[in-house]
Amino acid sequence: MVWEPIFWLGCFLTNMTLIAFNIYQITCLSDLEADYLNPYESSARINSVVIPEFLVHGVFCFLFLVTGHWLFFLITCFPAYHNARKFMKRQHLMDVTEAFRHIDAQKRIRVFKLGFYLVLFVFVLIRSFTAGTFSILLSIFHDNNEELDIRSSVLEF
Amino acid sequence: MGTEIPNRANFPLRPATVPFGAPRGASPFSASGPVVGAEASAFRPTPPVAGSQVPTPSFTPGPVAGPDAVGFRPVTPSRPGDPAGPPPSASYGPPHTGPFQRFPSPLFSTTAQAPVAPPPVRPPMGASSSPPVSLHSQPQPVFMGSPPQSINSVQSGMNVPQSSVDSPFAAPRPNFQQSSPPIRSTYPAPRGTLQSALPGFPSKQPNAAAQAPSVNSVPFPSQQGGYVAPIPPPSRPFPAQQGGFVQSPPLAAPSGFYQREQMQHPGSMPPMATAQGLAEDFSSLSLGSVPGSFDAGVDPKALPRPLDGDVEQKIFSEMYPMNCSSRYLRLTTSALPSSQSLASRWHLPLGAVVCPLAEAPEGEEVPVVNFVNTGIIRCRRCRTYVNPYVAFTDSGRKWRCNICSLLNDVPGEYFAHLDASGRRVDLDQRPELTQGSVEFVAPAEYMVRPPMPPLYFFLIDVSISAVRSGMLETVAETIKSCLDSLPGFPRTQIGFITYDSTVHFYNMKSTLSQPQMMVVSDLDDIFVPLPDDLLVNLSESRAVVDAFLNSFPSMFQDNMNVESAFGPALKAAFMVMSQLGGKLLIFQNTLPSLGAGRLRLRGDDARVYGTDKEHMLRLPEDPFYKQMAADFSKYQIAVNLYAFSDKYTDIATLGTLAKYTGGQVYYYPNFVSSHKDKLRHELARDLTRETAWEAVMRIRCGKGVRFTSYHGNFMLRSTDLMALPAVDCDKAYAMQLCLEETLLTTQTVYFQVALLYTSSSGERRIRVHTAAAPVVSDLAEMYRMADTGAVVSLLSRLAIEKSLSYKLEEARNSVQSRIVKALREYRNLYSVQHRLAGRMIYPDSLKFLPLYGLALFKSTSLRGGYADVQLDERCAAGYTMMALPVKKLLKLLYPNLIRIDEFLLKTTPLTDESNEIWKRHPLTVESLDSRGLYIFDDGFRFVLWFGRMLSPEIAMNLLGEDFATDYSKVRLTERDNEMSRRLMKIIQKYRESDPSYYQLCHLVRQGEQPREGFFLLANLVEDQVGGTNGYVDWMLQLHRQVQQSA
Repeated sequence: MVWEPIFWLGCFLTNMTLIAFNIYQITCLSDLEADYLNPYESSARINSVVIPEFLVHGVFCFLFLVTGHWLFFLITCFPAYHNARKFMKRQHLMDVTEAFRHIDAQKRIRVFKLGFYLVLFVFVLIRSFTAGTFSILLSIFHDNNEELDIRSSVLEF
Repeated sequence: MGTEIPNRANFPLRPATVPFGAPRGASPFSASGPVVGAEASAFRPTPPVAGSQVPTPSFTPGPVAGPDAVGFRPVTPSRPGDPAGPPPSASYGPPHTGPFQRFPSPLFSTTAQAPVAPPPVRPPMGASSSPPVSLHSQPQPVFMGSPPQSINSVQSGMNVPQSSVDSPFAAPRPNFQQSSPPIRSTYPAPRGTLQSALPGFPSKQPNAAAQAPSVNSVPFPSQQGGYVAPIPPPSRPFPAQQGGFVQSPPLAAPSGFYQREQMQHPGSMPPMATAQGLAEDFSSLSLGSVPGSFDAGVDPKALPRPLDGDVEQKIFSEMYPMNCSSRYLRLTTSALPSSQSLASRWHLPLGAVVCPLAEAPEGEEVPVVNFVNTGIIRCRRCRTYVNPYVAFTDSGRKWRCNICSLLNDVPGEYFAHLDASGRRVDLDQRPELTQGSVEFVAPAEYMVRPPMPPLYFFLIDVSISAVRSGMLETVAETIKSCLDSLPGFPRTQIGFITYDSTVHFYNMKSTLSQPQMMVVSDLDDIFVPLPDDLLVNLSESRAVVDAFLNSFPSMFQDNMNVESAFGPALKAAFMVMSQLGGKLLIFQNTLPSLGAGRLRLRGDDARVYGTDKEHMLRLPEDPFYKQMAADFSKYQIAVNLYAFSDKYTDIATLGTLAKYTGGQVYYYPNFVSSHKDKLRHELARDLTRETAWEAVMRIRCGKGVRFTSYHGNFMLRSTDLMALPAVDCDKAYAMQLCLEETLLTTQTVYFQVALLYTSSSGERRIRVHTAAAPVVSDLAEMYRMADTGAVVSLLSRLAIEKSLSYKLEEARNSVQSRIVKALREYRNLYSVQHRLAGRMIYPDSLKFLPLYGLALFKSTSLRGGYADVQLDERCAAGYTMMALPVKKLLKLLYPNLIRIDEFLLKTTPLTDESNEIWKRHPLTVESLDSRGLYIFDDGFRFVLWFGRMLSPEIAMNLLGEDFATDYSKVRLTERDNEMSRRLMKIIQKYRESDPSYYQLCHLVRQGEQPREGFFLLANLVEDQVGGTNGYVDWMLQLHRQVQQSA
């Protein structure tokens, strides 16, 4: 099946995006803590990526569901639930007025999420390999397969 | 005494001061740590003590203090080669000849001591107030007591090593310290006195070294006089001693400070404190022998009550006379813990309450300093402003920052020579170097833009309910009457917006004769029709503004609009004001119902109380308001909210506007015309009081300590910078601090509050308050130096904040558990040495804490549950309490109850009664005599309580024909008779004493329910009302909890 590698490639990229979002938010929080940013800017920056992050994660989760990757779906379900709950309670955005009071809690959540995505990243990477995503990628970039073969055979000897 | 011996031995030697400076200077306070406990252990072994002393060992330091002082004195004359010796000996000699002659005897052996030491020991026992006095007045009749004996035997033990090593002075000295720190630490008080008395022998005592430099130059006799003579007859030995010290010749700023630092030793030492006996060590309350039984025989009269109001501890301010006044800065404890472990045993909040612009009484105004040439002198590294605690060195060319101890250069223009004692010669012309509070005129580098003019913008609800309540007329009238007294006269700007379902703008251009009204009805996309002329200079457009205020109530007289487009109007106001900032006064009468920021009738739902969702009611519902508040704060706009509705207006949400912009919430539920006076007064005060504009405040503190959280109405702009678009004298801010390092190495921690603001006159200024506080390693010391007012203020702020994210119940429990933990910790300090069964003990400084805790539970913001207080009222009270200065908060928690009928009947003129009309009664039903007339004053309202058997003559005189009718409809006015005039005069006096709010008079007749219950009985905090504890039960409950797992 050709879709499987492409699917994992998509997961790989999505996961990278989520990690990037989280790192960005954590940086903003650290900057706020260290007085490099004022609470207005910091929370504006963070709030601008909160919804995209939630959406991307939702899509991520949904993809696992429709493609029948139950285990991955279950794993990603928890953060999705957490996100949804925050959103419903309208607590998903940074509160400018109380930025400093909540800074630790906000940071903890994001570091936790980052850890989660990193672990997930490892899994996705493994599945990508087993699904042959990267070999296909390589084969796309190196359309001259024979050359590759020769090289490898050279290395073998 | 152990200490005397070394002294004596040292006299001939006069060794260098240096070696002792180090150990002593390193931790003067640590000395106080082990005192009581250690001492007890030291004494306990001695046979005579065991029986009588052990249960109350803290006595032992007491007697010691006296004798020590006495003992030292006699020693002085005996010192060979001391020129200053004779005078004191002359003065003290006669009564004590026997013992004193022995002292000097070179063989100061153990045998000699037995007779010697005890005599001097005894006198103070009875005359606790001041050892030196007792020295004079009481010869030696009481000499042989058991305590002295015990001391003796201990001493003899101590002496042997001392005398043996007395000649190689430097070496043994440290030894002595190490081998018996408790002893050493026990006597610092007298030692301190000795030092000042014997400047020639600085090294005699370990702590002498540090003091010596500053004291050296002072001639002995004068010191002597300074110490002995001034002992006034104060009730406590503490102040007495301090007083004695303070009288010593005025000290130079820098060096003087060190001396103070040493001096507070005596003050803070148990020996002094306990000279009086147990009572000085801690206060106790006998609660009967069986904990838990309600019939424990508690005498309700014996319970501590703050009937004298908020009495501040004088010790602290005397210890550090250069500290700023407690009006501006109050620490929850004036002795900071030296280690984190110690801090964790102080279960109360550790922090400060700052009221940067508190009103100063006449003659104590903050001096203004203008560094024209030099620029403001600040530390290069930590940006601390120059203050009385900085030390000038290098003959005046450098100064050492007291907060980060960096050595800074003194700018050429600021240079002044140092005199012999190390003080600047120009000290008396430099208020910034002598006073804890100063105001610097800030040069241009402290401005990001030209100083803004005072700006008042009014956002007024003109919907039907506002019109009906009569609020409009009052507001218009008041504003009009205040126009002349608005601060910052020629520059003041003013503007108005009104709103119902549409937003109305007013063009007040000075060239117009009548204001032009413009109506914007597009609420979704609000815009400002005429950006320039909505905000005008008051002096230029005065006529237009007057015309507007005259016509404006009548303009909306027939308005039948019920809607309120508050959100859009707020946005419009923001757009108009964002150029300059200023003060936005909102008069809101209904729940915002249109456009952005419309609010639901969340309502006060009884079913929600007690569930996890309870706190949601007290939280702002719509993030719109928080966002607006943040924007307001960013653009230097302060919001004051005046809310009038009798229906639910969601103060919880609207109040955030005031909360994050440094504003205030005024709430007038059921506004009717009779509330007019209150509104008029409070609005006028709001408009005319001295206001600091576009301010930021920061509090700096020494290394090792850090402020972690801030509580009050403001917004944090960075981790430690409070943005305060407008500040005035009625606002206080609280902050908590923590120790960053496990162990503090400094002896003193300095705090500096700096408020950078624009005054109404358009000058940029920095108000700086500096304070120093000692670091101690003894928990008892921390408790002794606690400040109930600050503790209660912080606790209440924390509890109110907690009630925003938890149930009320939990907020109350958290306060209670902190109080219990603190009392338990304190009890554990003493429970080993004392028989405490059936007694509740607490530090004298915190004796009112339980009562204030109880009062806090019964305060409007934390009281009961659903039925007890309306939600809006609760939230408004919460916002108010978050900003109240300490004194006002204490008054609100424990209001004044004063009986005035006797006073009205008197015929003497009203001048000499000043004391009598301030006599407060305990807040219980029992203090209400049905023949009396009482006034209840919590700072926000008066309740006039007419006893049932009050002579009808009084009632008739005061109320005229109405005296028998329903009091809810009666208004108190001045009538044409002496009694009524007297009453009004008294009320006037009370009001003048507390002008930040206007106290409306509510009349209540005894037995007239439900008004009596609502106005008075529910506020008698010592009574058992509606399921809450009474004072006695509360103390019993605390006592039980303290003993559990104690």
